[in-house]
Order: sequence, then C-alpha cells, then structure tokens
Amino acid sequence: MTSQTSTSTLQVCRDCGGGSPIDAHFCPQCTKILSLGRHGDYFSFLGLPRKLNIDSADLEQRFRALSRQFHPDYFYNATPAERRASLERSSYLNDAYRTVRQPIARVEYLLQLEGLAPRSPEEAGKQVPPALLEEVFALNEELDEVRDRRANGAPPEEWKGRLERARVPIEAKRDAHEEQVSALSAQWDALVDRGAPQEDRRPILEALRERVLERNYISNLLAGIERELNA
Amino acid sequence: MSKVVGIDLGTTNSLVAFVKDGVPVVIREPDGNALVPSIVSADDKTIYVGREAQRRLLTDANRTVYSVKRFMGKGLDDIRDEARLFPFRIAGEAGGVVRIGLGEREFTPPEISAFILRELKHRAEAFFADQGEVDSEVDRAVITVPAYFNDAQRTATRDAGRIAGLDVIRIINEPTAASLAYGLDKRHTGLIAVYDLGGGTFDISILRVEEGVFQVLSTNGDTHLGGDDIDLLLTQQVLHDLESGSDSHVASGFSRTPEAVQEIRKAVIQAKWDLSEREETDLIVTSAYRKHITRAEFEGLIRPVVDRTLGPCRQALADAGLEPGQLDEIVLVGGSTRIPLVRRLVGELFGKPPHSELNPDEVVALGAAVQADILVTGNREMLLLDVTPLSLGIETMGGVMSKIILRNSTIPATGSEMFTTFVDNQTAVDIHVLQGERELVADNRSLARFKLRGIPPMPAGMPRVQVQFQIDANGILSVTARELRTDIEQTIEVKPSYGLTDDEVERMLVESFEHAEADFAARLLIDARNEAETVIRATEKSLRSPEFAAIAESELAQGERERIESVLAGLKMVLVSPDREIIQKWTQALNDATRHLAEVMMNRSVHAALSGRNITEM
Repeated sequence: MTSQTSTSTLQVCRDCGGGSPIDAHFCPQCTKILSLGRHGDYFSFLGLPRKLNIDSADLEQRFRALSRQFHPDYFYNATPAERRASLERSSYLNDAYRTVRQPIARVEYLLQLEGLAPRSPEEAGKQVPPALLEEVFALNEELDEVRDRRANGAPPEEWKGRLERARVPIEAKRDAHEEQVSALSAQWDALVDRGAPQEDRRPILEALRERVLERNYISNLLAGIERELNA
Repeated sequence: MSKVVGIDLGTTNSLVAFVKDGVPVVIREPDGNALVPSIVSADDKTIYVGREAQRRLLTDANRTVYSVKRFMGKGLDDIRDEARLFPFRIAGEAGGVVRIGLGEREFTPPEISAFILRELKHRAEAFFADQGEVDSEVDRAVITVPAYFNDAQRTATRDAGRIAGLDVIRIINEPTAASLAYGLDKRHTGLIAVYDLGGGTFDISILRVEEGVFQVLSTNGDTHLGGDDIDLLLTQQVLHDLESGSDSHVASGFSRTPEAVQEIRKAVIQAKWDLSEREETDLIVTSAYRKHITRAEFEGLIRPVVDRTLGPCRQALADAGLEPGQLDEIVLVGGSTRIPLVRRLVGELFGKPPHSELNPDEVVALGAAVQADILVTGNREMLLLDVTPLSLGIETMGGVMSKIILRNSTIPATGSEMFTTFVDNQTAVDIHVLQGERELVADNRSLARFKLRGIPPMPAGMPRVQVQFQIDANGILSVTARELRTDIEQTIEVKPSYGLTDDEVERMLVESFEHAEADFAARLLIDARNEAETVIRATEKSLRSPEFAAIAESELAQGERERIESVLAGLKMVLVSPDREIIQKWTQALNDATRHLAEVMMNRSVHAALSGRNITEM
C-alpha cells in the first residue's frame, strides 16, 4: 500500500488506497474513478490555471472531454461506489463549467478562492457603492416620478420613454465597468504568469472586488427599470 | 439475457423501441402499427388498454381514461378547471395527489400510466418471444418525458414504471431523445433546435452537437399545450353549434352525453388530420352534424394555440444566448407538427425550413432506445448532456423563493444552502423545496416539505446545517443534510407535495404487479360475496322474526315461503363460487323473492314511512 499522506495536494483512492494528485480524476494505480472527497478548485478540476481570460473553445473542449470520462451514463454497470463517484464528479464538473464559463461568475469565484468574497449577500446587494451615488440618486427620482404619473393614470407612452432614457446612463456605466473588469483581469493574469507575490496581487483583487460589487448593483438597477417597464 | 427497451409514454399514443445490431427499431404489431393509444378503460371484469379502450370511449366514456399524462404529478387543485372537460371522474383530497375513477375503483395517474406501460412491456415481450429469443423478458426501460416536466412529474413517471414492473434505468427528455435518433443518420455538428408539439405538451430545446456530445444549451416549454387544446377548441365550437341550434346543418335534439362528446371529439380529430393533407374538408359527426371547413378557417381558429409556442422558443434562444438565425437545423417532433400552420410559423421564426425526415410519432421512442443501449452496452459513441428546465429553490423569509440551482444548468447538478436555528436548543428545521422562475413561493411549484431533525441542541444561530440538493441525470432531486459543527448527518423526512411515497409505490407494485386483471376481478368477487352475505343475513333474520309465522299465515302467497327458502339455499351454495356473475344473479334472485315479504313486514312495522324498500334495508 502506498503511503497515505494528508497534505492538501494529494487525494486517496478509496478502492486501492493509492495516492493521486489533487486534480486527478482516476486513480493512477488501479484506474478506478476517484470519489470526490478531497479535490481542487474549479480551475484545477478543469486543468486550467487560476486566470481570468479563458479561451472559450478550449473550455468547451475540456468540458466535453471530461464529461465523456465520467458521465453517469458510462457507469451504469459499475459498482455503487463508482456510480456515486461518477455522479459526484459529473455534478462538480457541471458546476465548475457553469461558473468558469461566465466572466462575472468567474471573477466572483476567484475572489472567493482568494478570500475576498463579499461578507454577506446584503453587502453585495444593498449598500450603494460610492461611485454610483449620483446615478442612483437621479434614477430613484425618475422612478418616483414615473410611478406617480402612472398612478395618476398617465398613458404608457408618456412614461415609457422616460424610463428608456433613464436606462442609458446606467447602461453606459455597465459598459465602462466591463472594460475595467477586463483590464484588471489582464493585469491579474500577467501577475499569475510571472508568479508575482501575494502583496502585488492583493490590490488587483481588491479593485476587482469593488467593480463586482458595483456591477451587481448596476444589474439590480437595470432589473428595477425593467420591472417598471413591464408593470 | 433480459431485454431493455426505450419507451415513449405519450399523451395520445405510446410506443416501444429497442436497438438491434446497433440500429434502433420500433416494435410493431403484425399489421405494422406501432402506436398504442394511451387510453385505459375498464368494465367489471377487465382492464382494456390501447385501441380497444379507444373504441370504448364511444360506448362507455365514463369508464375510459385518456390524456392521463396531463395529470401526472398534479394535485387536485391544479386540474380542477380542466377536470370538467373529461368524461371520467377525477377526485382526490385537496392538497394531495389526483385520483381517477375507472369503473368501480380509483387509481392515481401513475397507476393508470402503469397499465399502458405494462401493455407495452407485454407487446415487446411477445415480439422478442416471436423472434425466438431465449430470454424475452423486458425488465428495464428508458422512459421519455417532456423536457419541461418538473420534478413531481418526472417522479410520477418513474413511479409508473416501477408499478408496471420495470426498472426505469433513465428518464430522458423527449426533444433530446429525438435529437439522438437524428444524430444517428448523419454526423451532425452544429446548433439544433428541436420543436416538439405533442398531444398534450410542448417543448423547445436548443442543442449544440459536437464530437458526438449532444449538449443541451437551454430548454423551455409548456406542459399543458398540445393537440388536445386544438381538439378542444373545435369540439367546443361543434357543441356550441349543436346546442344553440342556430346552424342549419344541424339536426335538432342533440343531448350532451359523454359518449356524444367523444363522438364529436373523434370527428374533430379526423377533420384536423384531413386539413394537414387537404385545403378543405367536411367535419361529420354521424348524421347529426356536417360542416364544411377550410384550412384557412381552421388556421384562424387554432392560431392562438400555435402562437403560444413562440414565447417559449424566444426564451430558450435568449437563454442560450443565440439569435434565431444562428441555428443550423430545426427538427420537428410530435404529431401536432404535421399541421402546416405549425411548420410555417416555426420556419418563419427561425428563418429556415424545419425538417422532419423521421416519423415525428416514432422518433422519440427511437432515441429512448439509443439511450438505453448506451447505458447497458457502454457504447460511447454518443453522450447526452441535458439540463434542468426549471430553477430549484427553497422558501425563505417573507414567502420569497431563493434559487439554489438555476434553470438550464447541465445535469447532474448540485447546490447547497446553509441553515441555522432561530431559538435556543431548536433541534429541527422545516424546509420547503420549490421549482419555478417566479419571485414568490405561491407562484412556484411546491415539490416537497422536509423536516431536518437531530440538530444538536445549541444556542440560536449556532448550528450550521448544510443542505445539499442533488439533481441526478434523470432530472430528479434528492436531498442530504449535515450539521457542520458536529459533522452529524441529519435525517430528512420527505413529504412530496403531489407525489406518492416510496411505500405507496411499493404497495401499488405489489397490488398490481402482473396481476392487474386478476387483482381487479378478485376485488369485485369479494364485493359480490359481501353483498350476497348481507342479503342472506337479512333474509334469515326475517324468517326467524317473531312476526314471521303470522305473516306467512295471512299475507304470503301460496309457495312464497318455499320459494324464498329455496333461493336462499341456492345463494348460500354459490357463495363460494369463483364466478362473480352467478353470485350476483342469485343475490338478485333472493332480493326479488323477498321483495313482497319485505313490503309486508314494513307495512306492519312502526316505520310505515319506509315502504318500497327490500328486505336488506330493514
């Protein structure tokens, strides 16, 4: 039997007790599918570095290849333990793929991995980010007025146009944010590539965190306008 | 080795297919017919399934059930409006599963579906036996469901399989099954939309096919939209014509019996079929009603139904992040896609003509057979990656749904949520699981209520109970929970909101497994014996009563007493007979023989008002 270490870079095959790298899916000794006891993060599970710019064709390719390796369809005749492992690994793969595929979800996940996740959902949603105070103030005034008019029986054409116009600066803000996020992402990837120390990475992550909080707030504002339009 | 098949359990028709030498084949009757109408009927002795049951719609509509798929996984509250439109009796407890009256018994929708599945199983077994297979038993199946079916509807389908004695090795979605069948012909690569309009349900699925992987990007639909709705529109129009009497083509004196309504429904379906082939037709309901109808008139009438499919198509495209023009192929599935208007509107929406080389009635079963083959043989040529059609979540404060697994997530998928306690030493937490896209709990589908028990007593807010939701490759949910501070696995009691518990399914399986007809007959025999015994007891009591001698003297006819005694003896003799009809005949005879005696005794008794009853009621 191979030595069982408990360092975080190894996982242990429950079938033969052999050790394997943390990002392996099958036991190198007995070739059985590994149960999802100890595992790496979404990036390492997919065999990707912890970077933010991702080639989507490459991601799709990895997703398909891994699906073909451990989808439950291919373990119908296997032992219950292997079937369980296949279900766990496939579920984790699907969760990883879904998260890493979407740019914003990817950044949020990275922040969480690096210990910079918002402390609570309230923090992410409620508190107005200082950079948005002006827009939020103007929008709320506009929304109040629209609601008043509607309550007084104004026809939709009278207030719908105002809502559409109110949306424009918010959407501009969102687009600006997307650019900022992608610039910061590129900086992060460069730091990862050259193995930069933690203290250099931290400011980038914190800047990303601010952008993500603002971005979520902007999304909520836009959703609010959408709701008013459909009300 | 026992056989594994693919089954399309449809609203209107069902069929079964299997893979032979790598090619999926539909199992047919000797006359070439593959479709079994999804209709179940009963008389006192027998359960009829398929075409025979369909014939009985016109003679015994009250005891004939069709479109049962519409009731799968539903509660009585869901279907109250619709229930009026069906000739059969629909009952059940408020907040519980629907029950359907079939003859003298009541069945749940999974049990009715199980009759259909059992018929398909028998057909397949007869076919394999005919082929000279050593082991012709069919004990495993892949069964298809509409992609937009929720957890309760999927679970009900799996239960139906179990009740029919089948190990349901996978539930797959109808549009994706169809795409698998199409994928066999050509090595597809690209984006495909599958538009599936069946008898009772509508699905749209958008897939990307690459390197043999059929990956669903998004799905949408309506589990209450299909050919049935078109039939209903036309039927209501004919009924209106007949009952208002305004139409000169109509003979007067129409009476709306369930059988008459079914006669109209049959004629309407025929006219609908005709209009897929021709520009005009005559809608003929026996000799009572005849109406000329053009395709343009028909299309004007059904346009709102077909339009209802377009919203889900647009939503599915938006969810996949695609424009209609980006799709490479549009595939049509389901009998209702034979309607020219449907083809035209789908073509307009996607900007290219849809295609349907394969029989739209058979393609889903073929795909199910392919999936069954993949599972059993380990054939890795193709892989289906499907999604969950509806978001899964839990009820949070204020009656709001908090989503845990979003719609269109590839399955299998997991999600987890942390719970804690609100009061000190609280040891249980209630969790309400929901499915749907709306904000408020009340607007979504209640799947189940769970009680987490065995939380170690701690101050409020201290326990950290992680509840893990797992949607498997069938799209069916399971839940586990663990208190993280103590690492104690929690027990979960599941109360499905509109489903059967495992025990109920087991009991139904035992009750019906391969003995459906015998079981049914046995129950009716028991009922007949009970009734006979009641009459015997009542007669004997009268004969022993103190007044009897006086009555026999003065009021009974010559030989009446002897007749009663001989019929009584006869009934006692046949009571142990296995022939229910003989028992009923003798029971009736004794009732008749004692009728006069009963009247006399009643007249003499203080309860003079009770006249006209027979002896059993005294």
